[in-house]
Amino acid sequence: MVTSLAWIVLVAPLLGGVLLASWPGEPPHRVTRIIGLGSVLIAFLLAVTIFVILLTNGADDRSFTSSAFEWISIGGVHVDLAILVDPLSVMMMLIITGVGFLIHVFSTEYMEADSGFRRFFAYMNLFVFSMLLLVLAANFFFLIVGWAFVGLASYLLIGFWYDRPSAVAAAKKAFVINLIGDVGLVLAAVLILRTLGTLDYAQVFHAAGIAQMGGAGSAGGLVPGGGTALAICLLLFVGVAAKSAQIPLHTWLPDAMEGPTPVSALIHAATMVTAGVYLIVRTHSLFDLAPVAGHVVAVVGAITLLMAATVALQQLDIKRVLAWSTVSQIGYMIMAAGLGAYSAAMFHLMTHAFFKACLFLSAGIVIHALHDEQSLDRMGGLRRYLRVAYFGMGAGCLAIAGFPGFAAFFSKDDILATALDAGALGVFCWVIGIVGAFLTALYMFRLLFRAFFGPDPKGGYDPAPHPSTKWMAVPVIILGVLSIVSGWVQVPFGWTGISDWLAPVLADVPHPLEPSNAAEVLTMTFSTLVVLGGIGLAWWLFAADPQRRIRLAAMARGPREVMGAGYRLDEAYDDIFVDTSHELAGVLTTRVEPNGPDGLINGTVAVVRSTARVLSAAENGMVRTYAFAIVAGLGVAGIVLALVVAGAS
Amino acid sequence: MNVPISAYLTLSGALLFLGMLGVMRRRNPLMLLLSVELMLNAGNIVLVGFSREWNDPAGQIFALVVMVVAAAEVVIGLGLVVAVFRSRINLDVDEMSSMRG
Repeated sequence: MVTSLAWIVLVAPLLGGVLLASWPGEPPHRVTRIIGLGSVLIAFLLAVTIFVILLTNGADDRSFTSSAFEWISIGGVHVDLAILVDPLSVMMMLIITGVGFLIHVFSTEYMEADSGFRRFFAYMNLFVFSMLLLVLAANFFFLIVGWAFVGLASYLLIGFWYDRPSAVAAAKKAFVINLIGDVGLVLAAVLILRTLGTLDYAQVFHAAGIAQMGGAGSAGGLVPGGGTALAICLLLFVGVAAKSAQIPLHTWLPDAMEGPTPVSALIHAATMVTAGVYLIVRTHSLFDLAPVAGHVVAVVGAITLLMAATVALQQLDIKRVLAWSTVSQIGYMIMAAGLGAYSAAMFHLMTHAFFKACLFLSAGIVIHALHDEQSLDRMGGLRRYLRVAYFGMGAGCLAIAGFPGFAAFFSKDDILATALDAGALGVFCWVIGIVGAFLTALYMFRLLFRAFFGPDPKGGYDPAPHPSTKWMAVPVIILGVLSIVSGWVQVPFGWTGISDWLAPVLADVPHPLEPSNAAEVLTMTFSTLVVLGGIGLAWWLFAADPQRRIRLAAMARGPREVMGAGYRLDEAYDDIFVDTSHELAGVLTTRVEPNGPDGLINGTVAVVRSTARVLSAAENGMVRTYAFAIVAGLGVAGIVLALVVAGAS
Repeated sequence: MNVPISAYLTLSGALLFLGMLGVMRRRNPLMLLLSVELMLNAGNIVLVGFSREWNDPAGQIFALVVMVVAAAEVVIGLGLVVAVFRSRINLDVDEMSSMRG
């Protein structure tokens, strides 16, 4: 029952995408809407049904697998086209289809005037299908298939406006960097296959569990703290870092903002980029075997969250602020997952999906209203024009900053409080996280104050920003409300909705982290203080006196420029990798190819030609010469024959 | 009357030698064709001779086939000669060397 529903959830968006893609010509917008939205709505409603069914089941009866058929069977390795429905995948399913549906609704208005209306929804449905495949897969094989498919959908949608060179370049960049991650993931899967002889989640995690218990004999080469487990986890993390935009593979995400804003909201904020967090939580049995890998993950997450937050402070493009903020927030989740705070990571993933989608869609309303204007310099006082966007942006900012009572107040504090109980590294991460929370409040309210407060920009708006229609307003309002209330499912000293829900999946964690009361209180106090400090500083800098920021513009200009350029990592990568490859390619084309392969071919040609020149002298066109040659040849052949016969007798 | 096989072979060899000389020496394409015919008929004589010697009609049938082929060849050859004569007047195979390498 549950699995049949899950199959429909998986297939519905695929059917929608295929139908739209193969529709002859451009269908009427109404048809595209019905197919594009309908397929995702069906998926969402069924996902809710599955959630309700699992909720009524006992906690130990919430995991189902279903295999459609055997996909590969070779050399003792069996890979089924199978799905796994358990609390973790259902949680992801709800986020993907729920947020996905709202963003689809938003897009119907946002993309209304675009000539690629059908293409857009075909890609979006393809993305929803790929993402569902990623989270529903019951083995590493189909995880990788889904992983690659979301990469493809992301590539297609970043480059959706393919007549813009910058969009094409950004799409290519995203694809190439994600490919690095894909290679890491494939290598990890091969290593798992080599070690355990299977790719099936259940068998792999069972073997990991046995290894954790110390029964190394039955668990292949896996031992706690062993090299194989460490290698597998680090390779998995390469995939995670590329997909979830963690240092050093994060540079594609800010550029991915070239895609339409709903794409940024769905793929590059709410769902796809958090796939890495899902992967770590899913494979937590392996990460529990390799504490060192966990530490690497946590440190990378911490560095990313701090660095991205500082970069976000200096961005002028409204979408780039949000993009860097996404990198930073995923840094929180990755850090939590690395420390072993899996349920906290998933909690933040969920709230982040809501408030970041809300922020992006609000930004979408702004961009739509201002006719594709994205620079904060050309915004100001928008709260007088765009009430819905103001509500969405306000709720989203309060939520992401972690204002008491809003979503990230609970989810981020859950991460930080758990980190505080995770040893010395945890304390380090806690400090980074608190600094990050301050920066988050600062950069988000800088965005809010600069765009929505103060006077109109110089020259005013021409024409005046037009308010959004209900197609764009309703999703933003729903997501805005979710940004406020979604944190309430897990309240310190109250109840633990997310941890309880994920408990069956995380049952085999050897040392579950439980935030102590002292850690909760300490974290809440500090985070509230820094959030209020951050908002206050943003108010003082950007809202209280609009001229202050201009007067202070000369301060620390150099370092701020470096920061704004993302610490010039793009230039560094260009210098190190792109330019080097260009130079290598140049040497190969000018030196190696003319002398190597070309030389070989030209040499052959020269030999054949000169031989032919010598031989063609014999072809003088004289029939009598030829006749003489025939006779002479026959004569020689006769003499030879006679000698042979004479010799033989 | 019983003609010995050596007589056939002698006649055939003489004809073949004459034909060969003609092909190598003559420059007129008509004479060239005649020489080729001589050589073909030298072959025919050997075929017929051995056919009689072994009492096997296969050789005579081969000779008939050769005649048919020779007739076809002469038709084409004469056609070519006439065509060349029309366009060039001068019939000399040494002049017809535009196909040289």
